[in-house]
Amino acid sequence: MKKSKVDLKKLGTQKYIVLIVLIALYIFFCIASKTFRKPTTLISLLDMSFYYVIMAIGVAFPIMTGGVDLSIGTGVICYALFGGTLVRNMGAPVWVGILVAIIFGVGIGLLNGILVAVMNLPPFLATLCTSMITRGLGSMCKATPWPTGQQDGAWFHNIFKITLADNTKIPVGFLIVVAAALIMGYVLNHTRVGRYTLAIGSNKEATMLSGVNVKFYHIMAYVICGLFAGMASIAYASAIPTVQPGTGAGMELDAIGGAIVGGVSTAGGIGTIGGTVFGAYVICLLKVGLPFIGLQAYWQQIITGIILIGAVMIDIVKKRRAQF
Amino acid sequence: MKKKVLATLVSAALVSSLLVGCGSTSTGDTTAAATTAAAAAATSAAATDTAAAATSAAATEATAASNDLLTGTEFEGVTAKEAYNFSVIVKSFQSTYWQAAITGMDMAKEELGITYDAQGPNSESDIADQVNMLNSAISAKPAGIALAACDTKSVLDSLQSAKDASIPVVCFDTGVADAPDGSVVATVATDNTAAGSVAADKMYEILKDKIASADGQVRIGEVNQDATALNIQQRGLGFINELIKLVTADGKTVAVAGNEYYVNAAEGANGDEASADVVIEVAVPAQTTVDLCNTEASKIMSKEDTIGIFGSNQTSAEGVLAANNNLGVLNADPSKGMIGIGFDAGSVIKAAITDGTMAGAVTQSPLLMGYYSIYAMTMAANGDKVEDFPMNGYWYDTTNMTDSQIAPNLYD
Repeated sequence: MKKSKVDLKKLGTQKYIVLIVLIALYIFFCIASKTFRKPTTLISLLDMSFYYVIMAIGVAFPIMTGGVDLSIGTGVICYALFGGTLVRNMGAPVWVGILVAIIFGVGIGLLNGILVAVMNLPPFLATLCTSMITRGLGSMCKATPWPTGQQDGAWFHNIFKITLADNTKIPVGFLIVVAAALIMGYVLNHTRVGRYTLAIGSNKEATMLSGVNVKFYHIMAYVICGLFAGMASIAYASAIPTVQPGTGAGMELDAIGGAIVGGVSTAGGIGTIGGTVFGAYVICLLKVGLPFIGLQAYWQQIITGIILIGAVMIDIVKKRRAQF
Repeated sequence: MKKKVLATLVSAALVSSLLVGCGSTSTGDTTAAATTAAAAAATSAAATDTAAAATSAAATEATAASNDLLTGTEFEGVTAKEAYNFSVIVKSFQSTYWQAAITGMDMAKEELGITYDAQGPNSESDIADQVNMLNSAISAKPAGIALAACDTKSVLDSLQSAKDASIPVVCFDTGVADAPDGSVVATVATDNTAAGSVAADKMYEILKDKIASADGQVRIGEVNQDATALNIQQRGLGFINELIKLVTADGKTVAVAGNEYYVNAAEGANGDEASADVVIEVAVPAQTTVDLCNTEASKIMSKEDTIGIFGSNQTSAEGVLAANNNLGVLNADPSKGMIGIGFDAGSVIKAAITDGTMAGAVTQSPLLMGYYSIYAMTMAANGDKVEDFPMNGYWYDTTNMTDSQIAPNLYD
């Protein structure tokens, strides 16, 4: 018993290791590339990473229950397409489009939760199927740009980035990410939803025998993931001019990779939101920074893959220690 | 026990609902590709419905004008000997370019009284999915196949099978280099090398003075969504080679850097990256998506010495514009910022040109391309010989966007 307590504490410090890695990588890129040092690069990096970080915060919950949610990648595209189609082609106001995207996300999250928690499907299979469904649903829409520039309804871009009159850009979205991280960190550590999520991941039987309504909290983990996927779709729509059907597959792996690099264990029961955020930023930093130091696309993929392997190996070591 | 039975039934229902999609289109299936083909078939069949419904109005309007479109071409007076069923395989339905092509195909469908099934992989980098679709289409033995190949090398075996099965293949939008003799009856595509050159001509025209009076190295960027499709290769190289010609004619040295395919295929570069007066930097992302093109464009557009950037198709041009959302460097006036030149149309690019962000773009005629490719397939199915049908790319900017010759090509 004593041994496991000590180990769990050590495992929680992965959060700080990731932060150090993040800062070291950033400094490395600044040194290696003059253009990387420009302030506009930091804005680009933040703009491009909002949706990944939000997706990562959301997906951390299913992973902490010992499952996974593969539907968020194609899901983000699907929700953005539906919201965008409503706004563009049916003249709905932008806030309606945003609401629809978020509700759609929550709906698919609920579907995932029911499939996994009530029907007992393996999470990998269940969310793989919903990812195919969301991909197909998204492809029903045409490539859709959300309002931009001077158009009616372009105000929603300001949620993530405010552009002042003299063209300087303020990445407000970063504050939203920080707020979301703090709120979800609190939820994870100090509310029943969060604590039971970890408990389900660490030992579902024991949690159920303690009288907890395991089904409800298990579903909630997936609903939270769906909610964040819905929010990420708005971040995506504000960063990318046109949402294209058929894309999105693969984005979930970056978000999941970010969570794992950040210390969330695939065995369930262990993880922090802070670590997840730092891990997601490491993945995004690699995505944006590697092109700057002149590496071609295939090198970027190879290096990101190697780093993920490193993270997974640390995860396996953790798993072994957790099996006392 | 009950739960397990229930779980098995639900899983079976989920899986069978995926396979139901198979029956609704004319694809035969191989077990390995069954699920992917089913999902893709279901989505592309749905896409055809959406496109068809939205464009029936445009089709009726255009039928009145269609006789003008055929006069003087090899397709004048062509009628279908029977109600053929064709198979159309696009690169993907990712961008609105393909919706415009489908509109043109629907116009031709109405006039000729034939039918077609359109399919496409989810994205233009899903090369294997497209090859599977092509093979399935060949086994279904349609009267003809229209193909826009994502990767010219990957379809060569399938084209041989099509030839062996006596199914005529018309390539549209992009040709296939080194196709087996006799497999492709005709190519209906823009002369992409010429279209790329037009963009280079305009880029140089705007930047000539800046290059002549520059006291250091200047950089012109090019973002190509891939290095595998023939049309993108031709367009990208058309731009690079023409730019090299113009720069060296004015006595400056030029070097090409970046993606290896384009660096090796460029002709006439006479400098090296460190010391040349002009560096043409070519970037190709890992996948054909706007956000990856965005990252590559950001890299080039962040550099101090970049004075111009060219996005060689709708996806990469939109990536350039997405990067500009953060960097704010593009301006149609060379004294105020970087010159951005795009390709194809779509509402995002059109808006950028109208408000002075982008200097202009080169458009194709996807609508006519779709239209003529149906006619070409009909001629081939009738047993007549069909010639290649190259089409023009048109430069457009704020001065000519509303011209009667240009405007119909500027799809949304």
